[in-house]
This record gives sequence, structure tokens and C-alpha cells, in this order.
Amino acid sequence: MWRRLRAAGVLGINGRNALYTLRHNARRLYPLVDDKLATKRLCEAAGIPAPRLLAVAYRHYELRRLLAELAAHQSFVLKPARGAMGNGIVVVLGHRGEGFVRSGGREISREGFLYHAAGIISGLYSLAGHSDVAMVEERLESHPALAALCTEGVPDVRVIVYRGYPVMSMTRLPTAASAGRANLHQGAIGAGIELASGRTHRAILRGREVGENPDTGRRVLGVPIPAWERVLETAVRATDQTGLGYVGADVVVDAARGAMILEMNARPGLAIQLANGAGLLHRLRAVDELAEVSRSLSQRIELGREIAARARARARRAA
Amino acid sequence: MSRAALVTGALLVALGLAVFAAKVGIYGLPVKPADTRGLWQVELRVTVRGDGRQGSVSALLPGPAGGQAVLDERSTSDRLSFSIRKRDDARIGVWQGRLEGVHEIFYQFRVQSGGEVVPLPEGPLPDPPASVVKAHGRASHEFPAGSPEVRDALERLSLPPPANPLDRVRKVFAFVSHEVATTGSAGSDAMLTLAQREGSSIGKARLLVTLLRAAGVPARLVRGLGLRELAAPDEKIWCEAWLGGGWLPLSPVDGFFAERPEDLVPLGDGGRELVEATGALAVGYRFRSLRERLRPAEVALLMEPESPVLADVSLYKLPVGTQSALRALLLFPLGALIVALFRNVVGVPTYGTFMPLLVAFALRGFSLAPGLLLVAFVLALGVVTRLALERLRLLMVPRLSVMLCVVVLSVAALSLAGEALGAREFFAGVLFPIVILTMLVERFTISVAEEGWREALVPLGWSLLVAVAIHPVFRNPLAEHLMFTFPELTVVVMGALVWIGGYTGYRVADLLRFRALAPVAPGARF
Repeated sequence: MWRRLRAAGVLGINGRNALYTLRHNARRLYPLVDDKLATKRLCEAAGIPAPRLLAVAYRHYELRRLLAELAAHQSFVLKPARGAMGNGIVVVLGHRGEGFVRSGGREISREGFLYHAAGIISGLYSLAGHSDVAMVEERLESHPALAALCTEGVPDVRVIVYRGYPVMSMTRLPTAASAGRANLHQGAIGAGIELASGRTHRAILRGREVGENPDTGRRVLGVPIPAWERVLETAVRATDQTGLGYVGADVVVDAARGAMILEMNARPGLAIQLANGAGLLHRLRAVDELAEVSRSLSQRIELGREIAARARARARRAA
Repeated sequence: MSRAALVTGALLVALGLAVFAAKVGIYGLPVKPADTRGLWQVELRVTVRGDGRQGSVSALLPGPAGGQAVLDERSTSDRLSFSIRKRDDARIGVWQGRLEGVHEIFYQFRVQSGGEVVPLPEGPLPDPPASVVKAHGRASHEFPAGSPEVRDALERLSLPPPANPLDRVRKVFAFVSHEVATTGSAGSDAMLTLAQREGSSIGKARLLVTLLRAAGVPARLVRGLGLRELAAPDEKIWCEAWLGGGWLPLSPVDGFFAERPEDLVPLGDGGRELVEATGALAVGYRFRSLRERLRPAEVALLMEPESPVLADVSLYKLPVGTQSALRALLLFPLGALIVALFRNVVGVPTYGTFMPLLVAFALRGFSLAPGLLLVAFVLALGVVTRLALERLRLLMVPRLSVMLCVVVLSVAALSLAGEALGAREFFAGVLFPIVILTMLVERFTISVAEEGWREALVPLGWSLLVAVAIHPVFRNPLAEHLMFTFPELTVVVMGALVWIGGYTGYRVADLLRFRALAPVAPGARF
């Protein structure tokens, strides 16, 4: 098993940590991606599209003001600036009486909303339990081509960018089981995307291969990702800004505004290999051979797609 | 693995093993703990406060009586002079000088107790010598052997004739053992104990001596220590009867006759307290003990070896309390190694890096099943509290603190329950890590709320499983002996950890998780 995985170029957790994140991601740069406010500022400064920030509460006493500021907005998303794995996120679709309607039709009172925000500030959902910031941003409306694949939540596209080159990608489709969250651990579907064509070609649900979304019965394979070129460009541009060498960029394709950076991750998960039915290692090594020469954004994206296509062809031959 | 990690790890392992090998090969330190039953280290710490007058502190010291051997006795005290006096069979340590402010006195010794079994004399016995009768055969204020009540009691026992002293002793012993109840709060006076048919352990011992003396058998009290593993020694009092030319130990409370159990160390004549002071305002003392894992000769190697450096870095010369703590602490690196193996080579999820270590440490004083039950109880209580607190919508730090209070109270309640069940000091030394379980409760409940029971139970199960894997190591005398006698092995563990840290290969969990990605018909050799 060991040798066969090695031959397939599968990257393990130790390998990712020791050879890629520890080596290419300087610790001092982590706050740029761990803190979503910092990410937002970074993107804003570079002119990379990202969801608009509606309100921020740094301290408990600012929470009342937060509520006042949100009165003007119909729908929004409350999230911890330093949350992980989609934890602590509340999506509000609209107002109803004294409270809000959450995604999935559940209701939340203003009290409940504030308590949740207070929990965020106390550090309940932050990576290391440190006190955190409650931020509210505009709710994105998924592009209909992707929205049609799932019943609730907003699907996103994860792109692994290594040393400025896109190497692998998948779209994460929330399911009823994942309660609208685009997180594979919680039961979202991960559908691998061919970098060259921008179409999904394989999908997994809880580690098992699937062909369609069990919620809708719709096929999730062979689906073209809308605005694929823009998705890749946005992901690579955003990761360029961070200075990190091994990043997972999460891009949402908004119905109106197109590809936008949702967040980035300096320790991207490895399930993307299962979603693509392919290992990362061969591609990462191929990039290592190219990365010494500096190239333009579009050249790097082109080369990344070629590498991925070659790796897929090679894997097909081996099988 | 990177070259640097490989080399660094190898250097650390080599360094540690070299020192270890030198200590074993050149100085002959034992790799295995000796079978040292009855071999203990004992420490007496006396604190005395005075107002500047001359004064003294005296303590009963162990002697060579009853087949026990006392090894390397040491005393340290500031400003007081130390001497040993002998009175009859007893050795008394005296610290003298001007008592000004607070003085601390340490007295440490190693003792090979091993217990003794005294062969019962047979046939007609010689009369006890006059000196013994004079010292231990007469009625006194403490042992009123001549009182009418005592004579009454003896008559009702209808003892055999004086020519058969052994049976007389047996009969009196049976009476005090079985017909006088032992109650901690009852009187310590011989007459009171006789009248009420119940007494404290001292009361019963005094009554036994009184009755024996009235029956014509010289008898006396002995004070000493009952040494126990992982707990402070018990102060004990028992009796000795003169029979057939020697003293016969017997206790109506602990139930031994003509023998002294192993791990019971006599300190001397019970006519006085273990520690007394004159010219002092206040005096307090505490005994501590630790089971010794080396033979006397091996300890001597560490105390006065050919190499002065070795003696300087030997942990065996530390005070007993510190040694005891270090013995536990030095096992932590081994536990951490196991955690690292589970997490980085096997690849199981656990709550927190060192949570399994702390749980294992909390379990150290218990065998596995009751220990796990205890942890499960505290966890369950914590989770219930956490769920109840959820309704109050408290901020995090105060909420965690409320849970901490509940956990502390529950441990206190369990300690009381343990006491009632006769398991004294059930929780000594494990209290601290149990309190840390509060954090485990918090992380578990958050995980439950966010990801559901199934997702939350998996890391909890693995955390406990890793703790269970560490548990036998923490209780293993060989591991304890090795890590404590050869602290350089910690450097070897460090080397192994550097290796694990530099391991970039697959975890077992990776192999399972990605097995679908392995080509079905492998092109490579397999």
C-alpha cells in the first residue's frame, strides 16, 4: 500500500506539514490568512474581489452597535475572523419580527444572534481559543450553475496554489448533512476539477466516490465551473499577495459579481486528492522544477494547467 | 526525513545511550530495579518555632531491632546541634540549641524492614530477668495493672496457670482483639477502653499492655511507621510482650501476633511521642516515604561513587518528596513519545497534544477500570453541567470557571466517598490532572454542538485509548527505575522525538484514507 501510494504521488499529512507548509509558509505570514479581516484588507489593497465587510465588533460592548448597523441589510453572514473549518458561521437570509431567518429556514432571535457574536469574541470558535473579532460581511449569491448542484449553502471552489502555480482544485458542495457548510469533514461533497478544462470529473462524499448529490439526485460530474479562468486568476493573484508558498484559496462564484476570494488557508486539507483521484506530489515536484524562474501570472496559470493535465494523462496510463 | 533531523536525532540518541552505557558498564549501575521488598526511604521533616530560649527537639529514630537494617542516616538542620542518645533499646535523635524563629530539621534514612516472624517459644519458659520486670512488668499510671477492674477482667477470662505464659498471652490478646471495638474517636486510656469495651488504637494497645502486665507478662508499647506506596506513612502503635527470652510483637488493631508485617518500621519505645520539643513555642512534623528501587549497595554507588560528577548529578540525593515528584515527572517524556507515535505515525486524532498524557497521569494511582470509571464520571458530570450552563448564555471564561468549580466539588465528593469506602488518600496526587479535565469537557461539548456526537466522540475515544496505552508505562517500576536512575534516557527520548518530527512518510491513517488512490494493478513491485 505504501509503495503504491508513493507511486501515485499521494501526499500524507506528515509530508504536507514538514515538506510544504513548514518549508514554504513562514509563520509570521499566517495571520494574513488566519485572520479573515487581514485577508480582506489585503485583497482590497490589491484590487482582488472579496465579499464586502458590513460591520465589525472587536469588543463585547460594540455588539449593540453591530446590530444597529445591520438593520439596513437584508441578508448577511456573521463569522469569526479567526475561525476554522466553517465553525461559528451564522448565515442570515432576512429579518422576521424581532429576529432573523437563518439559512435552512431556522430562526434566530436578536438575543441569540448577540450571544453567538459574544461567543465569537470570547474566542469560542477561534483557532487557538484566543479572543476573536466578530465580523459581518455581505452574503454572496452563488452562480446558478453551481447553486443548481446543491439545495442549501454556498458552494465554493478550493484551489491549491503552490509557489504561485495552481496545482489542484475542487468544488465543495454543501449538503443537507453538512448543514449548508462547504466542509468535507461535515459531509459536503468534494468534486475534483480538471484544471485544464474547468470541469468536474470525480466526486466524493465522506470519503466515498459518488456521481450525484444525494439531496438533489443531480449529477455533479462533467459540470463546467462558471468563469473558470477568472476563478484561477483570482486564486493565484490572492495567494501571490500573501507571500505564502503553499495555500488553499477558497473562491466563490457570485451570481452578480463573479469570482471572489472568500478566504485562504495556509494548511489546506488533503481530501482534495481523493476528490480528484490523484496525488499532489508529482505536481508539486513539477512546479519545483519550474519555480526558479519568475513568470507572469498568466504563464504560471497556463503551466499549472499543463502540469495537471500531464499528471492526469500519466495516471491514466498507469491505470 | 531531512538529513539534519536524522543526524540531530542520532546524535541525541547516541549521547544519551553513551552516558547510559557508561553508567551501567563502568560504574555498574543496575539496569533492572532490584526486588527491594521492604526497602524504603523515609524522611522526617520537623518545623519548630521558638522565641530565643535554649531548647531541644527529640525524635524516635529507627534502630537495628527486630531484624531491620537502617542504612545511611542523614540529618540536616540549620543552627542546631545533632546527637543520638540511647535509652534502653530506643535511639533518640536530639537537636539542641537556641530556638530563634522557625527552624527546619530534616532527618532521612533508608531502611530494610522486611518484617519478622518470631518463633513461638515451646515448653516451660524461663522467668523474665529482673531488669525487664522492673522496666516493663509493673503497674504504672499509664498501665494501671493493679487496679481492681483489671483484676476482675482477668478473673473472668479464666487464664491458664502462670506456668504457661504463652497461652495466657494468647487469651488476653484474643480478648482485646475481639471483644473490644476499635473506634477512632474513642478513648485512649486503658481503663476507659476496658470499661466501655471500645477504644482507639492507642487505647487498645494500652489496655493490652496493662492486662499482660497484670497477668505477669512484661509488656510495652512500640511506636513506628506503617509505610505505604504513593501515600504518607501511617503512624502506628503496637505492643510487645516478653516471652521466653525475647520480645514478641503483637497488635490487637492490625491483627498480628508473634510477627511484624513487612513495611512496618518500629521507631522505639512507645512511652513517648514520636517527636517532642522543649523550650519551643510550637512544633510540627511530617513523615514521607518512598519505596526504594535500588539495593543498598547500588544506592551507595550513587551516593559515594568513584566519580564525583556522577554523585553530583544523581537524583537519589534529593529530598524524598522531590524524588517522588521527579519519579513521576521523568515518565512524562516516555508518555509524550507514545502520544507522538500515535499522532504522527499512526495518525489518530486526540483532543489537545498532552490531554492523553494528563489523563494517563490522573489514572496513575488507579488500576485501569476504576480509573477510567472515575474519568468517565468527571467527564459526564462536566458535560451535563456544560449543557445546563448553555441556557444561561455565560461568557466563556466565567463559564469555564463554573465548570471548574463543579469538577473540583465532584472530586471532593468522590474523595469523601473513597474515605467512607476505606480507600484513604484515594485521590492523593491525582487531583490536579483531574481538574484539567475541565478543558477536555469544554472542547468535547463544543465539538458535539458543532459537529455532532459522532464527530466529537471519535477524538475523545482516541484520547482515552492513547491514555490507556500510556497508563501501564506510568505504572511500570522498570520504566520508573530506568528514567529516574538514568535521566540521560530522556535525551534518547528527545532523539526519538526528533526522528518522529522529521518523519515525512505516510501515517497509518493516510494509508487507510487514501487507499482508493493506489492503482489497482500496481506497476511497481509490491
